[in-house]
Amino acid sequence: MSTSPYRAPGPDDAVLGKMPGAVAEPASIEEAAAVVGETSRDGKSLLFVGGGTDLEVGGVPESLGVLLSTRRLDRVVEHAPSDQIAVVEAGVSLASLAKVLASHGQRLALDPPLPERATVGGVIAANAFGPRRARYGTARDLLIGVTLVRADGRLARGGGKVVKNVAGFDMPRLMAGSLGTLGLVATATFRLHPLPEASATLSAAGLAPGTLRALLGRIRDAQLEPDSVVAFRAGEGRFDLAVRFEGFRPSVAAQRDRLARLCAESSLGVEALDEAAARAVWARHDAARRAGTVRVKVAALPSALESVERGAFAPLSDALGDGASVWYPTLGLGFAGGSLRDPASVAAAVAALGAARRTLTEGGGSLVLLAAPEAVRAAVDPWGGTPSALGLMRAVKLRLDPGRRLAPGRFVGGI
Amino acid sequence: MSTAAAGAVGRLAGRLAEIVGERNVLADPAELSTYECDGLTGYRVRPALVVLPATTEEVAAVVQAARAAGAPIVPRGAGTGLSGGALPVEGSVVVALSRMKRILEVDLENGWMRVEPGVINLDVSKAIGGRGFYYAPDPSSQSVCTIGGNVAENSGGAHCLKYGFTVHHVRGARVVLADGSVVDLGGPVLDAPGYDLLGVVVGSEGLLGIVTEVVLRILRRPEATRTFFATFPSTDEAGAAVSAIIASGIVPAAIEMMDRLAIAAAKAATGLDWPDVGAALLMDADGPASEVELTSENAIELARKAGAIEIRRPRDEAERQLMWKGRKSAFAAVGRISPNYFVQDGVIPRSEIARVLREIDDLAAKAGLRVANVFHAGDGNLHPLVLYDEAIPGQEKAAEELGGDILRLCVRYGGSITGEHGVGSDKAPYMAVMFSPDDLETMGLVRCAFDPELALNPGKVFPTPRLCGDRPGPFRPHPEEAAGKIWRE
Repeated sequence: MSTSPYRAPGPDDAVLGKMPGAVAEPASIEEAAAVVGETSRDGKSLLFVGGGTDLEVGGVPESLGVLLSTRRLDRVVEHAPSDQIAVVEAGVSLASLAKVLASHGQRLALDPPLPERATVGGVIAANAFGPRRARYGTARDLLIGVTLVRADGRLARGGGKVVKNVAGFDMPRLMAGSLGTLGLVATATFRLHPLPEASATLSAAGLAPGTLRALLGRIRDAQLEPDSVVAFRAGEGRFDLAVRFEGFRPSVAAQRDRLARLCAESSLGVEALDEAAARAVWARHDAARRAGTVRVKVAALPSALESVERGAFAPLSDALGDGASVWYPTLGLGFAGGSLRDPASVAAAVAALGAARRTLTEGGGSLVLLAAPEAVRAAVDPWGGTPSALGLMRAVKLRLDPGRRLAPGRFVGGI
Repeated sequence: MSTAAAGAVGRLAGRLAEIVGERNVLADPAELSTYECDGLTGYRVRPALVVLPATTEEVAAVVQAARAAGAPIVPRGAGTGLSGGALPVEGSVVVALSRMKRILEVDLENGWMRVEPGVINLDVSKAIGGRGFYYAPDPSSQSVCTIGGNVAENSGGAHCLKYGFTVHHVRGARVVLADGSVVDLGGPVLDAPGYDLLGVVVGSEGLLGIVTEVVLRILRRPEATRTFFATFPSTDEAGAAVSAIIASGIVPAAIEMMDRLAIAAAKAATGLDWPDVGAALLMDADGPASEVELTSENAIELARKAGAIEIRRPRDEAERQLMWKGRKSAFAAVGRISPNYFVQDGVIPRSEIARVLREIDDLAAKAGLRVANVFHAGDGNLHPLVLYDEAIPGQEKAAEELGGDILRLCVRYGGSITGEHGVGSDKAPYMAVMFSPDDLETMGLVRCAFDPELALNPGKVFPTPRLCGDRPGPFRPHPEEAAGKIWRE
């Protein structure tokens, strides 16, 4: 007989300064459904939490009746290596899933920072990603099925267990990036990929935005297929580029050498890194993604790097201390972070965020606040402008969560 | 049609003519008959009217006018769909997007282009092919099917094994909703904040809105492609070869299987000198030249180990195209060996291919019918072609039942009732085989958010129409927002 899933909240359970009324740690999907069903009957608000790595994303919850932790939903339900799929409960961490999959030479190609803590449920909710997005996409692209606990506590499935499937609406995609405002993703079915036989990372230091873009154009024209392309901001108007190839050994070596030649032809210094140095580069990426207490995600066209540098990276770097910025040149996405130098610098940070957001929005992009102290939050909407489809988004929310109890106030437009 | 109903249709036709011009409203029975069905020709319903708008604004006005007249709306692309997704309903207005066929913008550096829904799939690649780019999804009907229809069905194709489906290649869309309002979902820049409604609209089979502009993701052509054709004694060995190739870590661009009957049909249609064998595979590897040389040779080795009789490599691009022509013509070619046939589109876990094919054989034998199999083996997407002769009493019904049994078999093996053709009207009854009432209700709630009166493409996807009930109360803003303490830009 299982014990009660509830426990008293402790100081570590606060979300953006808000204490939950109770904490539930269900040990099964059924128990999770029962908890959600109870909150529905009692009219209590709910917040789902996994590893807590992205809890600062979004607005402060308007109310926080029950915090439902997926910590004990930690089973890999099924791994079918020959079908390259895995069914996983929400609370499984990326690192522990990776261990299970690696035993059959496979992986889930999602690589956001902090894999030891980040859970699959949280990664889906935040649509979190890392460098491999360049080749494999995000949770949206790799998630082929979900079991949801709906706001009313009922279980519903969407998608399936086969990669190719167009039966019914794509509920998995709707859940990806919805920040737990539409339901609890209790189990997720993912498409997997083979672990590569070999990997090679090259790095070129101190490139100006124009040089970087030109090099990317040459990589594309040479029909190379890198698995990751990341540019680290290394000072005013300068970027250190890291490119990784993965796959079969001869092909990785051939592409590595080809890129080295391309750089040499353009008189760019490039270094093929040994294993330790490559590890350090990708660790630098993860560290940069988590740098500082004020963190944002920026989105623009890849060709807009000069304006992103001038209008977003530079002012944010000036306004914040100990900062770091990374840019994914093939995607047009980036992250910038840093810390307030002193309480008096709040105004400067808010001004820089506002200016950066204007620059990005004018180019058809966006700036989303991923983390910030309360003083900054009070002055900056985490999501920015009103999407053209906000009315439709609210309608979807209210159909699936009519009582507006799931993470109220956390999502875009106050959803 | 009653006189009153005829009068109402006449008034709506007049109103629509004001929006799109008289020549773009079809009301003549002979003209309407073209629109009675799509590629699934067994079901036919004549719509009340067909309207051919040319702009987003016209589509929006057409939707408003049809809704005001209480007419259901059926969006339509090229009408090549195989699931009856564009089947009209009684009294409906078919909104045909065929006049909206402009390519609006091309941005190669950033990898996207903006097109109207009536642009033909292959024309997208043709427009950018000279500069080394292409649009990846390649349904077999790509020389006639349109991007709007591809978006509605989330179309796949042989090469989606490596490259994904339409949903992976659509970055944004302008959508006319059921109330005639217009929204932009996504766009050229990735990760617009908010729910991924675009991901839901793609593949929603015309139930959630009418797409009037699409931002497509375009790719640089791969450096090299290597193709081989391998023959096997039976589908058992061919299935084992597919499993071995995938298990080795190779991601083929495409890997297609044909059984004896399908090979015979393709031969009859194209004159290819394919041998009379139990099964054949056609595989493409593409990517950097250094990679495809290796993966192609490794795959051939694995095919041999799995029991391949013969391996053929095309000598040149022309021969390669011919091999693919044989594969792509197999559907239609079945018409040469059978007066009639149904196409199914079930999906199974790839590791179960050999077992499921044998079960299909058993089912066919019991039904006294033949089934030809030609399909996307890499992702387990079967296309069983159930052969029958409508002139023989009872055979059409038996074929339909066999088709249904095959879909149930796919679901039993953990698969899907449709991999790329869509549910449409054809497979709507089988949705309840794959999904529970709660699963379907949850999807229904999403539909209600988009279209509370279920005016768009009724009769498709859902097995039983479910009314939306009351609209939830108005959205309550954050109290601090209401109090003016926080705001949105």
